[in-house]
Amino acid sequence: MMRTIEILLVIIIITSAFLISAFFAVLPSPRQVSPINLRRLALTTLQTMDVDYDLSQTVFKSSDDPAWGGLQIALSACLPPNVIYNMTVYEVQSGNQLYTVIKSISNAENLGIGSDSASYLAASSNVTFKVTPEKIGESQGGATLYILNCSDANGWWITGYTAQSLAEDLRQALSPYFKSIIMVQNTTQLAQMLNGTALQNETVQNAVVINTEGEAVPIPSGYYASSGVGYDSSHSSYARYCHTLGLRVRQYNWTWVSIVGYPLYYVSNTGLFPTEQNGWGVYGMKMVDAAGLNAFLRGLDNQSYSYDNTWITGSPGIVYLSSQASYYCNYYGIYPSPYQTATRAIPDSILSTYHLSETFAIFNKVSNWMAGSVYKNAVSGSFIALGLTRSSDIRLASLGLLCAYKPRLFRSDYTVNGTSRMVVLQLGEAGGV
Amino acid sequence: MTGATIDHMISATVFIAAILIFISLFNQTIQTAIIYQKHRSLATKCSDLLDNMLLNPGYPIEWGKSNCTPTSFGLQDPEFTEYRLSPFSLMRLNYSAGAPVYYPKTGQYYSNITIGFGKSLLVPFNEVINYSIASRLLGVNGTYGFSLTITPIITVSISELQSNPLTLSVDVKGAGFPLANANVSYCFINVTGGQGPYPAYAVHYGTSSTNDEGSAILSFPSFDATQESYVLIAYAHLSGLVGVGYHEHVLYDESYVVPLISDFATGTVAIAHSWDVHGGSNPAEISYNATFVLLTEEFTLREMPLDNSTGKIGKINYGEGQPYNNITIPTYNPGLLIITYRKSAQESGIVMMPWGISSMAFPISFGADSSGKEWVTTDLRQVTVNNIAYQAKLSLWNMEGY
Repeated sequence: MMRTIEILLVIIIITSAFLISAFFAVLPSPRQVSPINLRRLALTTLQTMDVDYDLSQTVFKSSDDPAWGGLQIALSACLPPNVIYNMTVYEVQSGNQLYTVIKSISNAENLGIGSDSASYLAASSNVTFKVTPEKIGESQGGATLYILNCSDANGWWITGYTAQSLAEDLRQALSPYFKSIIMVQNTTQLAQMLNGTALQNETVQNAVVINTEGEAVPIPSGYYASSGVGYDSSHSSYARYCHTLGLRVRQYNWTWVSIVGYPLYYVSNTGLFPTEQNGWGVYGMKMVDAAGLNAFLRGLDNQSYSYDNTWITGSPGIVYLSSQASYYCNYYGIYPSPYQTATRAIPDSILSTYHLSETFAIFNKVSNWMAGSVYKNAVSGSFIALGLTRSSDIRLASLGLLCAYKPRLFRSDYTVNGTSRMVVLQLGEAGGV
Repeated sequence: MTGATIDHMISATVFIAAILIFISLFNQTIQTAIIYQKHRSLATKCSDLLDNMLLNPGYPIEWGKSNCTPTSFGLQDPEFTEYRLSPFSLMRLNYSAGAPVYYPKTGQYYSNITIGFGKSLLVPFNEVINYSIASRLLGVNGTYGFSLTITPIITVSISELQSNPLTLSVDVKGAGFPLANANVSYCFINVTGGQGPYPAYAVHYGTSSTNDEGSAILSFPSFDATQESYVLIAYAHLSGLVGVGYHEHVLYDESYVVPLISDFATGTVAIAHSWDVHGGSNPAEISYNATFVLLTEEFTLREMPLDNSTGKIGKINYGEGQPYNNITIPTYNPGLLIITYRKSAQESGIVMMPWGISSMAFPISFGADSSGKEWVTTDLRQVTVNNIAYQAKLSLWNMEGY
């Protein structure tokens, strides 16, 4: 009898254990077993309603504006009939109270036993966000941009433009990124600059020089056109001047930018060559031919001058912006055509010949041809060459330069007082459990 | 001694019976919990899988505009972020709700989305992404089955109130809720007959707004619908929600043009004779004239006339030895290919085909059939396809049962 009593006691204990465990092991309501993701539904509803910025415009309107009615109609229309909602708009503030209720719209008194919500930050369309670019080379004491805008020189392969108009466009495009921009107005100032003398108290070292004359380069008369410095009397060529330019680029650690075509193919000075023409009827210009680029690269690499008129560029045809360049198009808001025609692309053999490294590819390489790249000498000086066919697009030159230096853009704070409103959409499901 | 034995036997029997009962009870609770966990896991998987489809463009990212089979499945528009879907990727999904169409002159079957006469999208099977490919690319092949439906949120239905002069009613509704005070922009195209061998057309644009019941009345005082074929395309928009509807009236439907997608990469559309595709009676040679209409960012419609080099005009006949023609759509901006056709000056009509699924707010139904499955979980997202509001719903079930 005693054992039976013991067993009954055991049964009572196990029954108690079962009841206690059943009490705590509460099974969820059927709706919780396989729920609709209301949070995601709320977020995507808000995003859908703001697809054309309608939501962002409405939430900044006064609370009695008819647009709120339209918003409620749209909200009711786009949610499933069994979903109830409460949408509340808050003003985002600074101080102790971060959020103040502006308006609330709902289609039910309460959202039932379970609900979920998503928030969405709407910015006023009236707000102007300030972007402050970093100045190129500021930390190294540089940040000077020289734009060759020489009135006594002519350009070539800048068809449809003048060097002056290109220079002005470049100045406008690049002015936020440089501490000082110097328009080199004539070849006399160019000579001064080549001598290392500041034109307007700017820093000459580490500057950027953009040649807006296309395939031609301005040449100062006098010293820089003299034999042994600018003129190669044995070959009757001004390729020697291009060599001197290369040396100066190296000496001052400049970045030389050629915006189109075959770099340094002509030298130009209307006073120096009043009766000379480039073979196409443009006076004040003298052909250097392929020897100009070869001499420049030798100078950049501190190699001694020798006359070499070997044509080195190629014609890969259509070239496309590299993925990195496309990324920086968006970053800097510069949008040239993503594909261009290259007929003066530089071969990659120059990298080893002149101790250069390609620090940025503006265009994807085609075979061994580099249609637009930034080259940096192992010791000092850089060179940007866009071997595209005419006419020049200064957006590409600007993009190449910015890609070379990658100045950062500092954007102002987004959540400025009175410019942002937060929309919270809370959803619940109508019906029972 | 006997009493002790009896006591022992009774207690042992009662104990074993009690243990068995309690094991059964505990087992039932555990089983319920396990099933709950499985259902819960399925719901989470459903939500994840839906986001996986909608929040990535797949690879190659422009697979919707090419003929290739993607190596990663996703429906997001590569030009945007969040829940914006590519109208072209959606075009390449095999429409599971429509009966395939066979066209003997190309020897191919076509995925078929047809919303009434003259409103169809037919995509060859060798260009569509079928369920098994998508299932494999999503990594659920053999483990989960799914069905994806993407349906427009806003319904714009157009009905003819009066033929002469033509009066149309445009009714705009959401999910069972009329869209009051919505702006309506419309494009009205009618076949004018023309003097040459091909039909001509006239395009008219206009705007209106809906009343409190979500209706707008459009009147065309000088148009007699008993004499001319026409089509009306209307876009309605309110607070970010955009919907599209269309209505057509044709005078002749015994022979008509059936546009069939040929090549996504080149934008080639085959122009077939209806008798070759759908059969019918009294077939005849017909001539046609095509145009393309775009929805602008201001929610107005704009015609983009096709060059003659695209094959915009031509004649087609039925039966063997009569080749089909081709039209090339020269843009990847979503729009409507509208083809006017005629047999004679009095026998004309219009057919339409969306270029980009959203242009005609065609629905998408993709995947397997969920009927008869033990447990099916669903999840919803609001999405936009070229600014047209859609609702995406994924149904998911476990192939193992629960």
